Amino acid sequence: MVRKHADWWAAMDCLGASNKNPFAFPSSYSFPPFFTRQPNTSTHHAQLQKWSSLVQAYCRHHRLFKLSLTDSLDSDLFHNKKIGKRLGREDAREVVEFMRKEGRAEWVVDDKGKTRGAGEGGEFWVWWRNVEEWAGLIAEWVDETAQKNTVLTLYELTESEATLSQEFHGMDPELLQKALSVLVKRGKAQVFGQEDQQGVKFF
Amino acid sequence: MFLKRIDLTTALRPSYLPDEVLLFVQDNVGLYEGKFKIPDYQNGQVYLTSHRICYVDNEDPRKNSTAIDLKDVDRYDFYAGFLKSSAKITLVPKPTKRSSIQTRGVSSLNGPSRSATTSPARVDSPFHLPSSEPAPKSTGTWICPICSFSNPVPSNFDPSTAPETIPLPPCLACGIKPTWKLVMKAAIANTINRPVQSTEGPVKSPIPVRARSDATRPQSDIWPDPQENSSRGGNSQASEGASFQCPRCTFANHPSLLSCEMCGAQLISQDIPVGLGNPNLRTESPGPVLNRLPAPGTENNESIKLSFRGGGEKIFYERLQGSMTQRKWLLQGAPPVPKPSRGPEPGSPSSRSSTPTGERVKTAGIAGLEQRRLEVRKNNELAIGNAFEDLETLMASAKEIVALAESFAASGGVNGESSAVANALGLVTTKDMLGGGSNSESLYISELSRNLAEFLTDDARGVLRKAGGIISLVDLWAMFNRARGGVELVSPLDFEKAARLWEKLKLPVRLRQFKSGVLVVQASDRTDEKTIRALLSWLSDLHVFPPDKDLAWDWQVFGRGVTAQDTAERFGWSLGVAEEELEMAEERGALCIEEGIEGRKFWENWIDEKHAPEASRLYNAI
Repeated sequence: MVRKHADWWAAMDCLGASNKNPFAFPSSYSFPPFFTRQPNTSTHHAQLQKWSSLVQAYCRHHRLFKLSLTDSLDSDLFHNKKIGKRLGREDAREVVEFMRKEGRAEWVVDDKGKTRGAGEGGEFWVWWRNVEEWAGLIAEWVDETAQKNTVLTLYELTESEATLSQEFHGMDPELLQKALSVLVKRGKAQVFGQEDQQGVKFF
Repeated sequence: MFLKRIDLTTALRPSYLPDEVLLFVQDNVGLYEGKFKIPDYQNGQVYLTSHRICYVDNEDPRKNSTAIDLKDVDRYDFYAGFLKSSAKITLVPKPTKRSSIQTRGVSSLNGPSRSATTSPARVDSPFHLPSSEPAPKSTGTWICPICSFSNPVPSNFDPSTAPETIPLPPCLACGIKPTWKLVMKAAIANTINRPVQSTEGPVKSPIPVRARSDATRPQSDIWPDPQENSSRGGNSQASEGASFQCPRCTFANHPSLLSCEMCGAQLISQDIPVGLGNPNLRTESPGPVLNRLPAPGTENNESIKLSFRGGGEKIFYERLQGSMTQRKWLLQGAPPVPKPSRGPEPGSPSSRSSTPTGERVKTAGIAGLEQRRLEVRKNNELAIGNAFEDLETLMASAKEIVALAESFAASGGVNGESSAVANALGLVTTKDMLGGGSNSESLYISELSRNLAEFLTDDARGVLRKAGGIISLVDLWAMFNRARGGVELVSPLDFEKAARLWEKLKLPVRLRQFKSGVLVVQASDRTDEKTIRALLSWLSDLHVFPPDKDLAWDWQVFGRGVTAQDTAERFGWSLGVAEEELEMAEERGALCIEEGIEGRKFWENWIDEKHAPEASRLYNAI
């Protein structure tokens, strides 16, 4: 019981961070040239790397799994209101492309297999943990809490109080599906049911 | 001292005397002394000015450059060249006016062109005494062990200092080289036997030195005027017009003879020739080469020949004739042309009042000022009136008129700066200073190139300094042409060609091309690294000095961004140059760019860790 409380507090702390403690931006965030695409190749590369890690840290802090390019352009991720600087749409797209090549982002693909991201206001996954890492985390949690061979609903997995302290709490269902499918492939889980009532059983 | 050492400018051109005017330039010229080439002086440029003829060597201009004062030139002859022999101009020096009892005075004035047409019988090249050595020298003789001919001991053979390795001339009769010991003995014997030198040389007038080349005259040649010969022989006293006693065999020779008719002993006491090391030595053109160069200060009366291997001799000769007739060097330091008398005119107020000086009347107040101005004006009127009366007086009073014109220009409120620059520019090479010929174009370009380098590096004008050490080629072109005063303008094409030559000519300025194609001129020691260092140190200063308005970012960490405008102001560059330099630094990764509503700003590169300016140090400081 005590442990649960501690977990809860930790979770509250973690969650509350997004509300109480604002995200601590890196110093380059307030460096005006950071928002201008650098013509020098090596400088540009360094710039993209910094942006990539900034986006990842930002999403981790706010528990964001998917970003919309259009919306985030106006958020304080890409817009530093203090120094009155913002990243342009094309430059932001370049950052996402760079992250994609790094394996830290992916344009969201719709059912028809078309890249929605290619169009305006495209959405993209931010892999501050990639799919394998998510799968590993879930498996570890199941292991820790001795829930092997029990059946859990997907909703339970991400929204229940039991997972509050976990990073995958509040995870995007689509991402959860991806992560679970990795586990299914490994033979560690089985997903059944359909549509909204899907359940999962871990082995 | 016919050949004189000269100073060169930074651009390796001779630096001119005041009032000196450049008349002609020709390249590919070699120097001869008498019939012999002077080594290391075989390929250079010759500058004919109103005062001098300067030779600047191509290979080693700092070392091998020399000049001949036109005032020392007695005569000059022209030789048109024949088959493979290039055209030459011979300059015969005026006999040195030096009164010394050791000097064998023989006037060579008005004589036939002996020096220029020296007989080929010369067996040895002239040896020139180094200036440090004492001039008087008596020669001993050494007897050749092979043919027992008495040879003179070389005059540079000093028994006290001569090393054993000193090259000894071979026997004049049989050509066998003597041993060092033999010559040593002879020299010592001579020193011991040397009679006390008489000091009572009754020299009344300065006696000219006999020209060196006279030594080569056939011995039977009778001197036309024995009266002119005065002192004779090594240590002997002057004997007016009498026969000359041989110091060895006491035979009384005719005074004009150079060696004893009886025993063959040298009757000449100085400028003893030393053997020519290798008479067959040839460089690119046939003709023997001197084995050493006359040291400056050497008493040497050999004629100097300029060999024009690249043509241009005719124009050179013409201009030389002109400047020899004009004798501009006489003007230097000469008293000004007598001014029209400023004496009191009858009826003028100054004549009525009697002052001790009688020259100027002290009148107070405005009336005095008015009167002074009136006087000055009258004076100027007279000067101008006189000057333009006929051409000759104009030439005579040219200096004055120029000064007057300048003062008019200055008081007329004309842009003083450009005219000052024009005056300082003075000597420019124009196309008409170069003769025809296949390579006159390239010579013009190279001269222009040197001209430009001088213009740039001249401290008095400080063209480069004023422009922050860097100036765009177009600006320089405009400035240079303005400085030329609207005459003999340089075409942009020639100008660029000349600028491109700097590197080849090893001049202290260089042409640099920016990425965008903009051409700039800067000192050759100025590199990109230095520029970047200067930029960065300036930017790092901005961390310390608080900005005049509140900045949203942490200026103590990041400093401030600078525009090209700021940079241009800071370094005195032109705007275009500043932009190019900043972009160059950006390209190298030292700076990064911020595009904003205030325009493009350049920052220290805090994005790329490799270039971040000592981030740790700054953070520690904070």
